[in-house]
Amino acid sequence: MENLEALMHGFDIALSGNHIFLMLIGVLLGILVGVLPGLGAPNGVSLLLPLTFGMQPVSAIILLSSMYWGALFGGSVTSILFNIPGEPSSVATTFDGYPMARDGRPTTALATAFGSAAFGALAGVVLITLSASWVAQVALAFGPPEYFAVYFLAFASFVGMGGSPPIKTLVSLAIGFALAAVGIDTVSGSVRLTMGIDELVKGVNFVVAVMGLFGIGELLIAVEDEFHVKAISSKVEWREVFRTLAGLPRYSWALLRSAAIGCWMGITPGGPTAASFMSYGIAKRLSPRRANFGKGEPEGIIAPETADHAAGTSALLPMLALGIPGSATAAVMMGGLMIWGLNPGPMLFIEQKDFVWGLIASMYLGNVVAVVLVLLTVPIFAALMRVPFFIIAPVIVIICTVGAYSVSNSYLDVMMMMGFGILGYLFKKLHYPLAPLVLAIVIGDKAEDAFRQSMLMSRGSLGIFFAKPLVTTLILLGAALLLMPVIWRTIGRMMPRTQARP
Amino acid sequence: MSQKSKFAAVAFVLAIGLPGAVRAAWQPAKPIEFIATAGPGGGTDNFARAVQNIITKYKLVEQPIVVVNKAGGSGAEGYTYTKSMAGDPYKIVFGTSNAWTQPMVSKVAYNYTDLTPIAAMVQDEFLLWVKQDAPYQNVQDFFKAVAAKPAGDFKMGGAQSKDTDETLTRMIDKAAKVKFVYIPFKSGAEAAVQLAGGHIDAHVNNPSESIGQWKGSTQRPLCAFSPQRLPDGPKVTATQNWHDILTCVESGLNIPQFQQPRTVWLPGKVTADQAAFYVDLMKKVQATPEWKEYIERTSQTDTFLTGDAFSKFIKDDIERTHKIAADEGWLISN
Amino acid sequence: MVSGRSLESATALITGAFGAAVVVSSLDNGIGWSSAGVDSGTFPFVVGLTILAGSVFNLVQGWLHARPVILRPSELRRLSILFFPTAVFVGVIPLIGIYPASAFYVFGALAWHKRGSLLDAALAAIGAALALYLIFELTFQISLPRGMLGTAFGF
Repeated sequence: MENLEALMHGFDIALSGNHIFLMLIGVLLGILVGVLPGLGAPNGVSLLLPLTFGMQPVSAIILLSSMYWGALFGGSVTSILFNIPGEPSSVATTFDGYPMARDGRPTTALATAFGSAAFGALAGVVLITLSASWVAQVALAFGPPEYFAVYFLAFASFVGMGGSPPIKTLVSLAIGFALAAVGIDTVSGSVRLTMGIDELVKGVNFVVAVMGLFGIGELLIAVEDEFHVKAISSKVEWREVFRTLAGLPRYSWALLRSAAIGCWMGITPGGPTAASFMSYGIAKRLSPRRANFGKGEPEGIIAPETADHAAGTSALLPMLALGIPGSATAAVMMGGLMIWGLNPGPMLFIEQKDFVWGLIASMYLGNVVAVVLVLLTVPIFAALMRVPFFIIAPVIVIICTVGAYSVSNSYLDVMMMMGFGILGYLFKKLHYPLAPLVLAIVIGDKAEDAFRQSMLMSRGSLGIFFAKPLVTTLILLGAALLLMPVIWRTIGRMMPRTQARP
Repeated sequence: MSQKSKFAAVAFVLAIGLPGAVRAAWQPAKPIEFIATAGPGGGTDNFARAVQNIITKYKLVEQPIVVVNKAGGSGAEGYTYTKSMAGDPYKIVFGTSNAWTQPMVSKVAYNYTDLTPIAAMVQDEFLLWVKQDAPYQNVQDFFKAVAAKPAGDFKMGGAQSKDTDETLTRMIDKAAKVKFVYIPFKSGAEAAVQLAGGHIDAHVNNPSESIGQWKGSTQRPLCAFSPQRLPDGPKVTATQNWHDILTCVESGLNIPQFQQPRTVWLPGKVTADQAAFYVDLMKKVQATPEWKEYIERTSQTDTFLTGDAFSKFIKDDIERTHKIAADEGWLISN
Repeated sequence: MVSGRSLESATALITGAFGAAVVVSSLDNGIGWSSAGVDSGTFPFVVGLTILAGSVFNLVQGWLHARPVILRPSELRRLSILFFPTAVFVGVIPLIGIYPASAFYVFGALAWHKRGSLLDAALAAIGAALALYLIFELTFQISLPRGMLGTAFGF
């Protein structure tokens, strides 16, 4: 209960008029950078960082972390409305969020996303509050073999499900792995797969790929259909926001499960992206309404959003306690900590109690502020769906172009984005799944690095993946998930009656 | 002095001095872009942002300065980009010695000769770190333990592959007649966490990469790869500060000096005046109290190499690295 | 009209070519095991082979079992109305920069659909370019491409 006392003290610090004002500013700016693809929390953080040097460290971190919350929430908006995920971790939100919005229910989709995101974030903060001291130790148990096992688990829970032709899924997955390998390889330092284009040494950026595959690709699909070209006349109602929020408890099992997955992936090095994919994959397997997934099923929004935010929040803990930044934003914040003269690490919790608990208290408050603000914006964002297609289409193209360009001020990225757009169109048209490709781009190279680091450690013996209980458990769990559909199908075949069930 | 000779002196000054003064007066006329060849939060990023903050605070340049991170390909992205900006005096790239070492070992599309060197402003130090609860208290014990096990049982972690950390590891191999397995991670911070978790046995991080871990008693330095002890300062742990750490030579590991310069470059084909402007600017930056504060906070060593001294430094470093790279078979065949 | 067979084959050929390029390119990096662990080309090599084999399978499958018509003429027409202006927009960015390109693009799109007056379209076009400038250039200090035109005017 020592932690709770410290937390109360933290609330004392965070609950000043000045700090609430900073939270509002931070959240609003965060929503702005989160909504605009190509800009992300790192842009906002680096913009604000110089302003914070004159502030107290607590005030500064409250401003920056509020912006982080705002950006996390804002990132879901474009995923749902336009099928453009601005961050890797909101890709899985598009799977059901976008169909639901297209179906004329953008308000429901957004409110579901924000509601479950808030729940996930809350779960993350509670975890940090109750277990700040020992959770950091969990992360220490992860060496390269464990990293690999976690990534393997994420792939296993996601791949191998869904109605796409298996060979097309395989090709899509493999293309993602190949794209992830482009550029300098961490383990050998050599340049790979640049195909004679010098600039590709920087690798294929996720944002560039996703703007094209999802944003442009979806636009090309949507324009074909005359019905889609007409604007959706969705009714925007405040009541709908509240009704959706009030209905969320019906999904409490999904919420709890997803929050658990998110927290677990946040404190282990899996991260928010792996968490959201994994949570979606598991939700789809366990849900009785499996067939509705991908067509606007609420659980398909709840699962990734809850896990994403639970992971994003709990990932701040290893950063503070160990000094490993879980994301680019966390890295900038860590740079900030050091400029303010604080060293992230185990001593932070002992030497800088006011700072740490002020920050944790501000996570509660910042999230409340963020969710209130973002819910207020739902009708405004939902109204965007009523803008006619012929106006919104050029806007989306321009936003994707600028987004791809601003990743690294490169025209090559814009060209690649267009190429990905065509590929995205072809794939969607011909039922190649896009999700495995995206998952592989995001965590493929990390999984490969971890595998090769493990091989260096064991001098080539695969036994390293079965050497310790933790890694063995993870690998076996992954293998079970991978084989589950096969086993179920076999059982189904042996018992024809169960197969008859929908 | 006669009237005549006074006139002659004035004429001389006018003839020699003024055109010079006009030439040296190149001033930037539009916003300047600082390119950091590391991701946000990395050492090079902090370096570029420290310089930016000082320039902005003292208004050393009228034009605004924007920091852009181009960390792809271990920094190759930033250098390649700068190379393509030849003749543009508004792009300043911040890096380390990888500007000349990376082209030796990877097929990247630039070489340091494509850039105009401005200065090396800081030397970051390296230390040999082990886990806090490791049984060895000094360098000799440590290497005895390493030698007692079969070659390759001890794992050294580090940032990147075939960069400074691995080069230093191979130098240690030779000096101590042992053989480490080198495990490359994305950053020094990651290696530090792996050491804290006991997944590797040692690493050679910079002071700023591991100070938090040392304070928090998860790992401790055995020796510093510098010619003399690191400067005195406040205690880091209850009993020790950086100055209390022996140099590696003092403790019996014969590597007298290994440092990582933080370097500043312009694109190729800029004029001498433009380069001179930035050399001068960096000198001004270095004279500020904020710079001293940055150096102390990150426990680096202040230095300022420019012109011939910088060229000689590069040449020496290339020679040393080339030898190790050749022995290890890292050199790329062109 | 586009047949499913031709679209399936085209896609399989694209992915197959990519797979082949990955295989060839990975051979440069070395495949197998060396003193430095798993060679850096190994993983791309396996992945490239997978893409290549999968593409061949998809090519055959697509040829045998594709839907006869996958794009009707009306769909194809709507697709080109979106695609070609977009390609032109992206294509002219290096020449005239993103601000004029966006303005022309928005103007063109609004004028083509003939809703509202040309003046409205022009205002929306200028508004779009201005919004880009305010958000990216001014607020977040991200300089967007100015193109050869911009360079000629000394931006």
